[in-house]
Amino acid sequence: MATKFPSNEWLQGLETKINSDQKYADIAKNWEGDLVFIIEPEGNLKERLTFYLDLWHGTCRKVDYNPSLETYPNPAFTLTASYKNITAIVSGKLNPMTAMMTSKLKVKGSTGYMMRNVPTILDFVRVVQEATSEIM
Amino acid sequence: MHPILKIDLSTGKTEDYEIPERWQKDFLGGASLAARILYESVTLEFDPLSPVSPLLFMTGPMTGTSGPTTGRFVVCGKSPATGLWAESNVGGFWGTELRKAGYDGLWITGKASTPIYLWLNGSGPSTGSGRHLEVRDAAGLWGQNTYVTQDKVKDEVGVKSARVCVIGPAGERQVLFASIMCDHGRMAGRTGMGAVMGSKNLKAIAVRGENEIPVFDLKTYKILRSQSNRKLRDDNEAKVFRELGSSGAANYFEYLGEMPVKYFSQNSFPAVDEVSGAKMTETILVGRSACQGCVIACGRVVKLPKDSMKRKGPEYETMVGFGANLLNNDLESIVDLGELCDHYGMDTISVSNTIGLLFNLYGKGILSRDDTSGLELKWGDVDAIEELVRLTASREGIGDLIAQGSKRLAAHFGVEEEAVQVNGLEVAYHDPRGLSGIAISYATSPRGACHNQSDYFSVDLGHAMEEIGIEFQPRHAQAEKAAGVAKHQDWRTIDNSIVMCIFANVEPQEKVSLINAACGLDWSVDEMMSFGERAWNLKRAINNRLGLTRANDKLPKALLQPLPDGGSEGFVPDIDGMLAAYYEARGWDKETGKPSREKLIELGMDDIAKDLWG
Repeated sequence: MATKFPSNEWLQGLETKINSDQKYADIAKNWEGDLVFIIEPEGNLKERLTFYLDLWHGTCRKVDYNPSLETYPNPAFTLTASYKNITAIVSGKLNPMTAMMTSKLKVKGSTGYMMRNVPTILDFVRVVQEATSEIM
Repeated sequence: MHPILKIDLSTGKTEDYEIPERWQKDFLGGASLAARILYESVTLEFDPLSPVSPLLFMTGPMTGTSGPTTGRFVVCGKSPATGLWAESNVGGFWGTELRKAGYDGLWITGKASTPIYLWLNGSGPSTGSGRHLEVRDAAGLWGQNTYVTQDKVKDEVGVKSARVCVIGPAGERQVLFASIMCDHGRMAGRTGMGAVMGSKNLKAIAVRGENEIPVFDLKTYKILRSQSNRKLRDDNEAKVFRELGSSGAANYFEYLGEMPVKYFSQNSFPAVDEVSGAKMTETILVGRSACQGCVIACGRVVKLPKDSMKRKGPEYETMVGFGANLLNNDLESIVDLGELCDHYGMDTISVSNTIGLLFNLYGKGILSRDDTSGLELKWGDVDAIEELVRLTASREGIGDLIAQGSKRLAAHFGVEEEAVQVNGLEVAYHDPRGLSGIAISYATSPRGACHNQSDYFSVDLGHAMEEIGIEFQPRHAQAEKAAGVAKHQDWRTIDNSIVMCIFANVEPQEKVSLINAACGLDWSVDEMMSFGERAWNLKRAINNRLGLTRANDKLPKALLQPLPDGGSEGFVPDIDGMLAAYYEARGWDKETGKPSREKLIELGMDDIAKDLWG
């Protein structure tokens, strides 16, 4: 079910999509790491927004919409981007690896783990795009 | 600017060469200024390995100023590998020390009658100008490897803080891709400048100085460099270089089909993770090293299980050249092979590429053990690879052919089209079938198939700069990329002039502000780009005088064959279409391949226009 980004409904839909997508399950079968996304306010987004996703072996074990950063103090990765850049990624206008290499998407976490799991990252973004019908 | 010290090794005569004021502004420094200085003396007639051949060690206006990644210098001349313009830039600390010794460059000609080394002590006894040059006997150093030579020279001159650049046995034997090393592992690798140095019986140059390095507006420059370095510390790509080394993106390149495998015949290497920057970091990395003033620190320091020695870890080109290129997934052996090449003083790209050619010809049945000094060449056989490296450096058996590079080796066996090279320089390990823009870079670089004159794959990965006409295109776009590649070449020509590492993401306005503060200029970004274009065209003009025509702008056969699977599946660059658009963007004459008279005049090079067109 595709939904409007960003919203709690969208995040719940993304969790469902991840857990039903066989291609992602295959590609991400070795992935172990939870993610905190921080979206900095810009344009239609007036306040900072956060998402939490616990991704594990091709599944999503938990999501949390707009938690405080103290709730998840040590995620495997913290990804920070402006609203403009994150929507560019979600809408497919900006390649996520390009966003990382050009610092449009700031990454805190193991660079090595990220670089050796490029197919997983790219397929995760595919799933995100398919789970999104509209952008705020 | 400081003068350039001219040294004629045949006569022992030295003189200070004052750089004409106009050239200082029009060409700034580094490879661009070197090209202008050497324009008249790099001619078709002479052998690059003859005494008349010039060798110019050149710094840039930001060398040693602790600007972002600016602790670099460049070695220029005429390449024995290509017969064309040669430049090879390198980091470390030697360039900084040369400027502290009171010179912006060393211009060496002639040939010493016996092996010698030079000792330039800018803080030692004065000869009137406060600088002192000694020519010293190098008989005891001849035959020594690059690391030992540096240490022995420091011992002999009695100054531990001296910086030394050297050649190894490969340079002495004039292997055509011999390199020049400084600071224990920093290599001016490409175009064979080590062979030119060896042909002059010049084993090493030690420098030491204590002078201030001039910066026009130091107060402003300090603020700007601080901002740039701070930004660079936070940059994601710099983080990849710092944490994983230059081979940090190996997995990504392999995924895209951009990493050549099995001598460019494949683009998929399932074992890539075993020979990647990430693997090195997790297993054998014990430290990092940086060039003067650099906040990235891409250099790797590793320890292997076999002993407790600290060694240099391989950068991307060495990792792929001795890894995926030869189907070798043994990381420790790649460390050893890179170190062996460093000791001998050889460019790891050219030697591994040429060895790859040999394996390929052997695998196709074109060669047999009778041709390979008795070696059986099975892909991934580390012992055979190591033996070939040794034979190359000593020029024994098949090694003597490898030492002449892939073009000559293939020609020797009557299969020149099998060599993956352009104009005599072996293709680096970025495949244009994965990211297409570098096809134009390889075909038109002034020094052959070079990835550093325009690492356009970085643009294809997202480093677009719309403000200077470098726009992002899909990775397999074709002629649409041509104008952007031309701009990117101009952009990198600026880096090769000032001299800045291409690993640093420094934005156009940021860069021109640094240049203006360092040099006392008032350039706009457009004026800076015009400078880059001027110097690019100048190098083209030099090559035209050396016999280069449009026919030289091409890609090797292997890169024009589609691969059946992997990240680049089915794609080949339309090089003819790309070049037609590139010539248009450049304003070059489509018949001769020369920059047009109008273009040269537009760029303020009336004298070059007259020389080229009459």
